[in-house]
Amino acid sequence: MIRIFNYFLIILIFLLNHSAYAKDLLITNAKLVIDEKTFKEYLASTDKLPTDYINNIHENITIYQSMGAGGNEPMTFFFKDTEADEIMYMLGDTDYVIKNAEGNWVTSGIFAPFSHLGMADIGGEDLTNDISSPGSSTTISEKASDSFNPQSVFVANNRRHGITHAVISPTASGNSVFAGTGSIVNLTGNYNSVVKERAFVLAQLGEKGTQYSGGSRSASLLQLKEGLDTANCNNDRTCRNSLERAINNINKNSYISNSESEFLKRVIRGNIPLIISVERAIDIIRVINLKKTFERLDIILLGASEAWKVAEQIAENNIKVMIDPHNNLPSSFETVDSSLKNIIILDEAGADYAIANLSALGLQGIGTLTQHAGNAVANGLDWDKAFAAITSTPASWFNLSLINNSLVIWDGDPLNVTSTPTSMFINGQEQSLESRQTLLRDRYNPINETEKAYKYR
Amino acid sequence: MVSVITINKINIGKRLILVGIIFINSCGGSLDTKESIAFQSTYAPNLSITTLITNAKIIDGTGADMFNGSICIDQGKIKKISSYNVLYDKIEKVDINCEYTNKIDAKNRFVTPGIIDVHSHLGNYPSPSVTAHNDGNEITSPITSEVYAEHGVWPQDPGFDEALKGGITTLHILPGSANLFGGRGVTLRNYPSRTVQGMKFPQAPYTLKMACGENPKRVYGDKGGPGSRMGNFAGYRQNWIRAQEYQEKRNSGRTNTSRDLQLETLADVLDGKILVQMHCYRADEMAQILDLAKEFNYKVTAFHHAVEAYKIGDILKENETCAAMWADWYGFKMESYDGILENIPFVHETGACAMIHSDSDSGIQRLNQEVAKSWAHGNRAGLNIKKEEAWTWLTSNPAKALGILDQTGTLETGKRADIIIWSADPFITYSRPEKVFLDGQLLYDKNNNIYPRSDFRLGYGVK
Repeated sequence: MIRIFNYFLIILIFLLNHSAYAKDLLITNAKLVIDEKTFKEYLASTDKLPTDYINNIHENITIYQSMGAGGNEPMTFFFKDTEADEIMYMLGDTDYVIKNAEGNWVTSGIFAPFSHLGMADIGGEDLTNDISSPGSSTTISEKASDSFNPQSVFVANNRRHGITHAVISPTASGNSVFAGTGSIVNLTGNYNSVVKERAFVLAQLGEKGTQYSGGSRSASLLQLKEGLDTANCNNDRTCRNSLERAINNINKNSYISNSESEFLKRVIRGNIPLIISVERAIDIIRVINLKKTFERLDIILLGASEAWKVAEQIAENNIKVMIDPHNNLPSSFETVDSSLKNIIILDEAGADYAIANLSALGLQGIGTLTQHAGNAVANGLDWDKAFAAITSTPASWFNLSLINNSLVIWDGDPLNVTSTPTSMFINGQEQSLESRQTLLRDRYNPINETEKAYKYR
Repeated sequence: MVSVITINKINIGKRLILVGIIFINSCGGSLDTKESIAFQSTYAPNLSITTLITNAKIIDGTGADMFNGSICIDQGKIKKISSYNVLYDKIEKVDINCEYTNKIDAKNRFVTPGIIDVHSHLGNYPSPSVTAHNDGNEITSPITSEVYAEHGVWPQDPGFDEALKGGITTLHILPGSANLFGGRGVTLRNYPSRTVQGMKFPQAPYTLKMACGENPKRVYGDKGGPGSRMGNFAGYRQNWIRAQEYQEKRNSGRTNTSRDLQLETLADVLDGKILVQMHCYRADEMAQILDLAKEFNYKVTAFHHAVEAYKIGDILKENETCAAMWADWYGFKMESYDGILENIPFVHETGACAMIHSDSDSGIQRLNQEVAKSWAHGNRAGLNIKKEEAWTWLTSNPAKALGILDQTGTLETGKRADIIIWSADPFITYSRPEKVFLDGQLLYDKNNNIYPRSDFRLGYGVK
């Protein structure tokens, strides 16, 4: 059966080049690993699954991912392997790719909740680095996606680690606490890999923010509030004028233009999240208090080293948190109470959290995300929850259904450092796991017995 | 555009350049001063407890196969280590003959030597990383071989305590990499102490930090040079010539010449007393440095970072120079662009001396995971390296590069009892150190809440 389909594949791949839609995907013999939350959501949306599947690891599973030809959303279905033949019969001559997972772990792709992927070639070389724009007069409306290079070598280098989607974000600079607008991309390396251009706005408070807003926490918080107030004026000119004057008094170079403030309206209405980088517990409380004025703000805290100290308030106010479970040192005075228990206590309080590898080098190294999640497990978090924190949880914050858009086959537990992907699919398309790094590896592999000079390998 | 400084602030500050404080020292005196007695180690662990660890799965750090066995600790040393013969599921006990006050059943546990980090800035770029704490790099001249890293080490850095929880028992603190000759490095025991002298590894040789490539030329490019890699090499050579002259004068026994701290360090390198630890990324540059060492007849003990070491494993082997590497840091600057995940295993496979290093207060807490990653990637690329061999990247090879392999780095009779008991196989992420011994003294016991806490940690959250 498989051989026949492989034969057809050659023809189908040719046809696909002329097709508007990607092919469906069938993965057999999978050890499906799916976090409980996603699985429950899935169960709620279908009546096809027997209830005894509720457990995060399911052996002998056939996965069918429909790409939603004809304008439908892609959908992923799970079946017992015993039903595989039946599914194939039902699919008939539908175009689909078949892959035997050979009993290995299969998961959705990994979603990096925060990164600068593809926004710089060499972090230390200014001209190649578009992560921030200190000399620019616009801030909020600048989109990370406009700086994204899908063919940066870092895209393929990180794809190889199982990352299928990533948040990309600018950082604050110049004279504003507002860093700009962040985007969501997939790691296909295709020119159309921006999944969402305007996914969120980032503002930076704490020690990062004070550098760009005149020098104090008072100034940076005020600048953030005034920005939101200006946007809240709608088209009331008097309101806007007075606020703009106020902002100019705080910082002569800071000016929130009409278009910028139009943009912030989406944030105020809660249409897109406002990510705020903040570390100290009292600063977190001040951010939570913003919701008293701007009730619909969808706030995601970034960093939040001391979040555990105010975990209850965070959970009660439906504030989301992106944290690095490796952070445990008092690296600055605003993180003196950093602790490995941060994520554990947030979990106990019922807060919604994602794991970001913020301490990774330059945030292009998002491939270590699974290691950071693995260490959250080592420190006592449930595997399920840690895995959700790098997949379905952050993806859902940006309305992306990860399990319906990506699948990865691994050679072991994806949260263990010794495991790596063996196959990856994004939107039904199998992705290459080759990269500049693997080509260098192959050229210099000491077991390579070729007689060719190395530049000809 | 983000500047280099912004990048520093985010992540790589401790390796790049931060503002230092002027520190120039010159003492009078004659050249034939005897071996310096200044700043001697006062390290004094409590050696009174005798311990027997039984039932352990032991990776002894020599590269030999793991075995089930027991370790007897007496007077801070490994008095005896023995194996049980496991044949056809029958365990034949070998008598270990150990008098002990404390017995630990390490059933289902892995036991390894304590980890040695050959490249750390704990203490000289401590937490919190306020500007007042930037004591790791004397960025006032490209030639500062007169400075000693230990004079910039703050023993209250909370990072030492967290590193201990990750199994670090010995660590090497280096000056930063702004300068061609950065100064002397110091090897420390990870022992809670009020003073640096109380942490100094007794009789460990001094080291000299040198730096290749981008950092020196960037920092001094508009401050009189070097401004290029050419200038870097001219700077090395001019100063080795001065050092040779100083060495000759010193050997001639002439008195009434003032002692020169800068040249003293370099002459000690030429005399073979100080080990050269050289920050270098690119393969071609490392090869040129090895030629430089031949010109002046000294040895490069280890290249640090060595992101392209995998391209020249054979040259490293031939020169008996080690490479201290990361598992997956690369791409943050041009000279680190060619990093691959198999760097350590490839260097190991060619027969050169390979090891992990952290250069990070975070990475130092999980060096076993960094090795596990590299090991797995190497084997996936077709190598066949055993876990036991890979363990040498964590303990015995760093000990070799620091000149302390006769003291620590393996679990062998007579060596310091620097030991980690792991909750499970240390090549698995979920395994963490449960107990860490330094000279037989239990300094960290996860399940019994025994751990050190720096003065700095006190008083936060007190209402």
